[in-house]
Amino acid sequence: MSLARLKGGTLYDPANGVNGEKRDIYIRDGRIVDHAQGESIEHDFDANGMIVMAGGIDLHSHIGGGKTNLSRLLLPEDHRDDPRAVPDRPNEGRYMRLPSCGVCAPGTLAAGYRYAEMGYTAAFEPAMIASNARHAHLEMGDTPIIDHGAYVMMGNDELFLQMLAANEDFERLRDYVGWTIDSGKALGVKVVNPGGISAFKFNQRSLDVDEKHVHYGITPRDVLKTLTRALTDLRVPHPLHVHASNLGVPGNIESTIRTMDAADGLPIHLTHIQFHSYGTEGPRKFSSGARAIAEAVNARPNVTIDVGQIIFGQTVTASGDTMMQFKNAPMARPRKWVLGDIECDAGCGVVPFKYREQSFVNALQWIIGLEIFLLVDDPWRVSMTTDHPNGAPFTSYPHLIRLLMDKSFRDEQLDKLNADAKTASALGEITREFSFYDIAIITRAGPAKLLGLKDRGHLGAGAAADIAVYRDDADRERMFTSPAYVFKDGELIARDGTLLATPTGGIHYVSPEYDRAIEKRVREYAEANLATRFENIAIGDDEICACCNGGRLLPVACFAASGS
Amino acid sequence: MLCDDITLAPTDDRRLAAPSTACPRLAASLASYSPQDANRKPAIDGQDTDLASALSHATAILSNAHRPLFGGLTTDVAGARALYELAAHCGAILDHLHGDTLADSNRALQDRGSFFTTLSEVRSRADLVIVFACEPSRRYPRFYERAIRDDRDVSVVFVGCDIDKAANARAESITPTTDPFDTLALWSAHVEGGRPIPVAELVALTERITKAQYTAFIYEPAMLPTRHAALAIEALQRIVKAINRTARAGALALTGDDGAASVNQTIAWLSGFPSRTRVAYGLPLDHDAHRYRTETLLSRGEIDALLWVSSFAPEPLPASLDDDVPAIILGHPSTQLPARKGPTVFIPVATPGIDSGGHLFRVDTSVVAQLSAARDVDLPTVAAIASQLAQARRPS
Repeated sequence: MSLARLKGGTLYDPANGVNGEKRDIYIRDGRIVDHAQGESIEHDFDANGMIVMAGGIDLHSHIGGGKTNLSRLLLPEDHRDDPRAVPDRPNEGRYMRLPSCGVCAPGTLAAGYRYAEMGYTAAFEPAMIASNARHAHLEMGDTPIIDHGAYVMMGNDELFLQMLAANEDFERLRDYVGWTIDSGKALGVKVVNPGGISAFKFNQRSLDVDEKHVHYGITPRDVLKTLTRALTDLRVPHPLHVHASNLGVPGNIESTIRTMDAADGLPIHLTHIQFHSYGTEGPRKFSSGARAIAEAVNARPNVTIDVGQIIFGQTVTASGDTMMQFKNAPMARPRKWVLGDIECDAGCGVVPFKYREQSFVNALQWIIGLEIFLLVDDPWRVSMTTDHPNGAPFTSYPHLIRLLMDKSFRDEQLDKLNADAKTASALGEITREFSFYDIAIITRAGPAKLLGLKDRGHLGAGAAADIAVYRDDADRERMFTSPAYVFKDGELIARDGTLLATPTGGIHYVSPEYDRAIEKRVREYAEANLATRFENIAIGDDEICACCNGGRLLPVACFAASGS
Repeated sequence: MLCDDITLAPTDDRRLAAPSTACPRLAASLASYSPQDANRKPAIDGQDTDLASALSHATAILSNAHRPLFGGLTTDVAGARALYELAAHCGAILDHLHGDTLADSNRALQDRGSFFTTLSEVRSRADLVIVFACEPSRRYPRFYERAIRDDRDVSVVFVGCDIDKAANARAESITPTTDPFDTLALWSAHVEGGRPIPVAELVALTERITKAQYTAFIYEPAMLPTRHAALAIEALQRIVKAINRTARAGALALTGDDGAASVNQTIAWLSGFPSRTRVAYGLPLDHDAHRYRTETLLSRGEIDALLWVSSFAPEPLPASLDDDVPAIILGHPSTQLPARKGPTVFIPVATPGIDSGGHLFRVDTSVVAQLSAARDVDLPTVAAIASQLAQARRPS
């Protein structure tokens, strides 16, 4: 089979401890291989003077499913205002990109093209509702080029809460978690405002970590403990993905730290933690809790986070957290929003929002996100996200990378913000600048490790040849916007922002082992409560292929049994 | 509604029946299928032909068209996906058979948003169901069976309409003859602004809502006053949103029939825009619910070819279609072909859930049902035909 060589690039491959070494990479059959002497090279790509990393991996991006499509339907103006709605790439040829547009709520086609042209080769939908799983997979299947996967939402579904409230055996709850992952073809489990989405359906308007659900009497801590333990027992690689209680509430640092501790030392991932790092100091009773949160993360090796950085401009917030989104609804800009209670399972809230530099609160949110990036010591435990589109669209990543890598650029931006927010901030005093190595960790190696993707996020022999090659440029934003080459599974799919091919991405999922006897319990519950037949819930292998447009199935192995 | 609990079985005379489901709409639909469907051939200008000739004739029609309309669009997700690429090659406008109703619902969502609920929430949570200005059982015969459990204590209040005789719970009706807009205006003033209103029944109902555990508002976009349905939906959603400040409620629209929800959702995720959008390679997407209305386009003679997709029932071509406009019909096998002057290609296609599998959105647009074939009749799917037509347009 033909061998290709990427020649002379400078590699940043943290998973293999490679920090800026000039090396050639060999690619055969979509994989990175060791070069055997004497083999002839059929394609040579010149990467001299360029920076080489594995393809980017976004572990938290709302790219598919009900609330994402509601965002699109809610905001036709977002699509009309899209400066990239008219393809302007004469080199691509007329038929490379199917028409698709939108800035903060792009069509799936536009999302796939844009991720790929930025050098990203995978993105993960973090909030797939089990009852909406087929829809989520259909949308991800229509997101071209990039691989994808989803975390299924649990901990607000009535069956889980009923079992928990009834003190059913932990093993039964664990098996139900396993069954839910398996039947929805999920890669992990996310909990959003643990118990809070359900509590809102019973007209409860707030729920703290140790506060009781008004109907079931259980607490968010109970939910967190059970789910972290279940995932550990099921040996699912990705830790419980947690959107903590009290999103956006001033003073929520305390409940965020209590959320970390509810895991009892088991792995736990706190997502978009920027929204959960707010103090109550100062005249406006709103302050940065970044230092406290960063210290808490530094002190707890079981905790990983992604940031959910905000970037100024128009976006739309789409969340499963109906309780908090309803509170936020009066701030909707433009003034329209969608909220829904879904299938005794979860909910969703879609609230458009404009982050403004001159708003004290928004400016501080921007500051807090950056402070967290810069104050957490171990980059392996921080993933770069904007919680697309909640903090900003994913297309802001190059800008965010520049903010992290370039202190003087960061200071320039800080100077443009609301003066009181700047005064209340310690950001100007933080001198840390991320290196290429750090960036490679927070955008590919770290997320791959956290998701259990053994052959992604690195450049060692045996890895999938998902590779991004950047022209070195002092303007890191420009540099990370349009890589010189992007390879997906060994195929050159983009060159300097010009797409060359649009293959179908694959789906990553786990199939944990569990006792199938739990199906009887789920069946009884479905028959009594749902308008869906039990038999129609689970998605089989053939069906997932159809949903994903024939994309490859990429099963992710669970951890080996303990002790081995 | 897209009930997922229906099992189809062949009958003695080689037709299809649903022995355990009582639904007149289903029965009427099943009656349109017969053993002869397997023998239905493609046709060009009324003359039977083979599939290859029909495809090549259809390709010629599309190649000569500058401004085609893809109408009807009663198909599943796979059909919509494949038609999208074909539309991009042809510069086609996409509109659905129920485009007017879809446009009203889309418009209300674009202007105000919504506060929605889903079937299982209604079934297991609602203790008060408010049916606004419609008779659900007329178009959705199994609505009550699916949405209201017999063993729960549920009250149904019909507002702006008479009691639906099919209701299976305690039912009453208020303001049955009042103009829906008057009711909505007064009710909104009351729940939104706390203003006194002269309709005691609405005040009393609002009081009940605040005491209920969960109120489900049911409405049918297609039954609201035509031409202004979007305004009525907006007003109703505004009321539901206001109620949620203190109590819990959600709205469920009974709509999305014949693949309307599925096609609208699919086009929206692919492009960003809902239906009534023009799709063309190399051009910005153009979404215009007024301009790209099938009736308007046809009556103004603004299109030069029609691709009519009708896979769930033998829907006739729109009456306003000029007799000499070329037409391609991807139709139900029992379609009666009209005599026309213009070139006309007919290709019989599979019905999802009868002749092929597929995916369709349920009435509440939150659950996608997987369909499977109920009989073994070898008809191509809409997706297969659209893909072959797109293949013919792709640069080699």
